[in-house]
Amino acid sequence: MLDMVFQLITFFMLVLNFKAAALDMTLKLPVVGSAMPVDTGGQEELLILNLSPTGDLTVYGEKVNLEGYIAVEAEVSRMAAKSKGLDIKSGDELPTTIVIRADETSRFKDLYRVIETCQKKGYRKFALKAKAKG
Amino acid sequence: MRRRRSKPSDAKLNMAAMLDMAFQLLSFFVLTFKPDPAEGQIMLRLPPPEAVAGAKSNTPAGEDKNNTDPIQGIESLIISAFANPDGSIQSLAVGEGGVGENSPDKAKALEARLRVILDDPDVPFKQVILQVGSRLRYDELMKLIDVCTRQKLPNGEPLTKLSFVELPEGGAGAP
Repeated sequence: MLDMVFQLITFFMLVLNFKAAALDMTLKLPVVGSAMPVDTGGQEELLILNLSPTGDLTVYGEKVNLEGYIAVEAEVSRMAAKSKGLDIKSGDELPTTIVIRADETSRFKDLYRVIETCQKKGYRKFALKAKAKG
Repeated sequence: MRRRRSKPSDAKLNMAAMLDMAFQLLSFFVLTFKPDPAEGQIMLRLPPPEAVAGAKSNTPAGEDKNNTDPIQGIESLIISAFANPDGSIQSLAVGEGGVGENSPDKAKALEARLRVILDDPDVPFKQVILQVGSRLRYDELMKLIDVCTRQKLPNGEPLTKLSFVELPEGGAGAP
């Protein structure tokens, strides 16, 4: 009995998903045919941004100020790259991918504000989240 | 002096307490278990918008007699999407030509037009600039992005280089 319980605990510990905490599950993503799950194998840094229908940016369930948050994250990304031996100057392309999870009713102006702010700080790689068809 | 031999320990593990704790841990993990949602994504490379025609010198337009290629530098295909107040697509245009004015599925009409344009091996386009009305909903925008990213450039590479430009309030001058 105890063995079985420990095995179950081990299973749940292994499948524990810390990444899911960054996702706002109240958002309703659009359904898009060519949206494919991509596994970066943990090689690439991801910055997950949730965009509500009202245009608010939430990260780990907290509403954040877009400009301030992206500026801090860009600096952190630059410092992380420096520790790996890469010298990324301000405005240069950052190796992080911005993952945008926007509600299907979000307006383009709010999405564009997020993209533009990220571009100004050096982010070039973006992943727009959607549900795959079927 | 004779040394006392230490007796084997007769301490017993309280299995009931151990089992209780194990069940508590198990309950915690079962209750907090959230499977990863099955989400897909469209990967894009989004450089900041650039001028459609590259200004390489201060020579006024048409003055460079050595330039035999009039479309040199024009490598961006411009798609405009105008929005209704409810956020749906009102109309689409590729360049200056309207797309699917009478079609209920405008994304499909756009796909057909892009195929015709990009099937031509002489087209200079390497990226798409999407001019989008500020009111357009994300799901409608994703339909357009989906159509664009499914296209292939004449050199066989998939079209992933997109830029966005915001048009004020659905799109000024919308047809």
